[in-house]
Amino acid sequence: MLEDVSFTVNSGSIMAVTGENGVGKSTLLNIIIGWLKPDRGTIRINENFGFCPQDPLLFPRLTVNENLDYFRTAYGSKLGKNEKMQSRPDELLREFDFWSYRDKKVSILSGGTKQKLNLVISLLHDPELMILDEPYASLDWETYQKFWEYAAYRKKESKSILIVSHFMYDQSMIDELYVIKNHKLVCA
Amino acid sequence: MRISYLLKCVLLTAKSLLRNRIILLLLLIIPAIFFIVTRYTTSNMPVWCKLATVSEETVVTVSQRELAFIFIALAVAGLLSSFLSLTLIHSQINEHRRLIICGYRSGEIIMAKFLLLMIIILSISVYIAFEISFFFKPRNMFGVTLGFLLVGFVYGSYGMLIGTIFRGELEGILFIVLLANLDIGWLQNPIFYIAAQNKAFIRSLPSFFPSQISLVSAFSEYSITRAVCRSIVYGLIFLIIALLIYSLRMRVRKRMNID
Repeated sequence: MLEDVSFTVNSGSIMAVTGENGVGKSTLLNIIIGWLKPDRGTIRINENFGFCPQDPLLFPRLTVNENLDYFRTAYGSKLGKNEKMQSRPDELLREFDFWSYRDKKVSILSGGTKQKLNLVISLLHDPELMILDEPYASLDWETYQKFWEYAAYRKKESKSILIVSHFMYDQSMIDELYVIKNHKLVCA
Repeated sequence: MRISYLLKCVLLTAKSLLRNRIILLLLLIIPAIFFIVTRYTTSNMPVWCKLATVSEETVVTVSQRELAFIFIALAVAGLLSSFLSLTLIHSQINEHRRLIICGYRSGEIIMAKFLLLMIIILSISVYIAFEISFFFKPRNMFGVTLGFLLVGFVYGSYGMLIGTIFRGELEGILFIVLLANLDIGWLQNPIFYIAAQNKAFIRSLPSFFPSQISLVSAFSEYSITRAVCRSIVYGLIFLIIALLIYSLRMRVRKRMNID
């Protein structure tokens, strides 16, 4: 599906990969995060990355807080012991305007709110690199704007973002844009 | 294996399961329905029952109804355990893969599911034993309950194995129904066993030892120690294979780390 793909996401940059449906964007991400094995080649990655999948992978019968708690346990040592990191879930809940949903079961949330939670989970451990698969597919306009504000803030903090999406509206925000065409990754 | 990770996974998986009220209700209702049907379709006619783990010559005469209660209870415990474990393995597999990317280990997740399953099986066994006590008094209630627990353990591990092998739920259910029907639903029936031509085959099936534990305990004073050990070994074999396959399926490929 993909041939001779080679790229680097520099620190403090936003890189995007786009392409038509079915060209292998998600396959590329699955290889990067380790769900799929490449036929050959190597992936060098800062293990402190956050992954936001295309479909919200959340536990529907648990509340927002319980989901955050579950993933916070998973991140474990990556979170560290300092107070700032411990209060980060609350901070993110406020930042993305869904503090009032914290005790609600995920199953009753709207698609957009689930996507917000999906995003927040990938940010819980303040990763050096965020890997986002179609991150704004079901976000409302306000959250979409907030997403880009937050992306700009992270860029200033020298954190990197890799976005994979089949459409790219805000190209001005993106430092490097690649397109997958004929199984190859080409600079747009 | 990190205990705090394991406990968190047990707790939150249990919460998720307990919030499915229909499953809870069915767990309570299904054994009761089986027992009511048994009560109204059997008689107290005496029948022969062979206690095969004691010796091939040990035969006791028991009431058809009492024998049916033990046999049906074993079938219910085995079926419920295997279905539950299949559901536990299949449910939210991608969410669990995400947890693994974030830092969980696949062994911690499957062990948490197994621990939770054992808690559920223990509860089901005690509940079934409690219901049976309304209909008759077995000689050794503890032994009878232990048989239910072990059939749950063996079939729970089998359900896990099937859940890790098959990605589709329907295939898994059909495999569970196939073995459970053949084994606990038919071949372990003591009335069938006593006249069976190929006893070696029946003795090699998963529920043979747990069934014998309950039967021996219900109708005699013979020792059940050997059958208990063999049931545990049988269940452990299923469990270890399930653990290995699950770890392989859930693994995250190694990447080179850069700081």
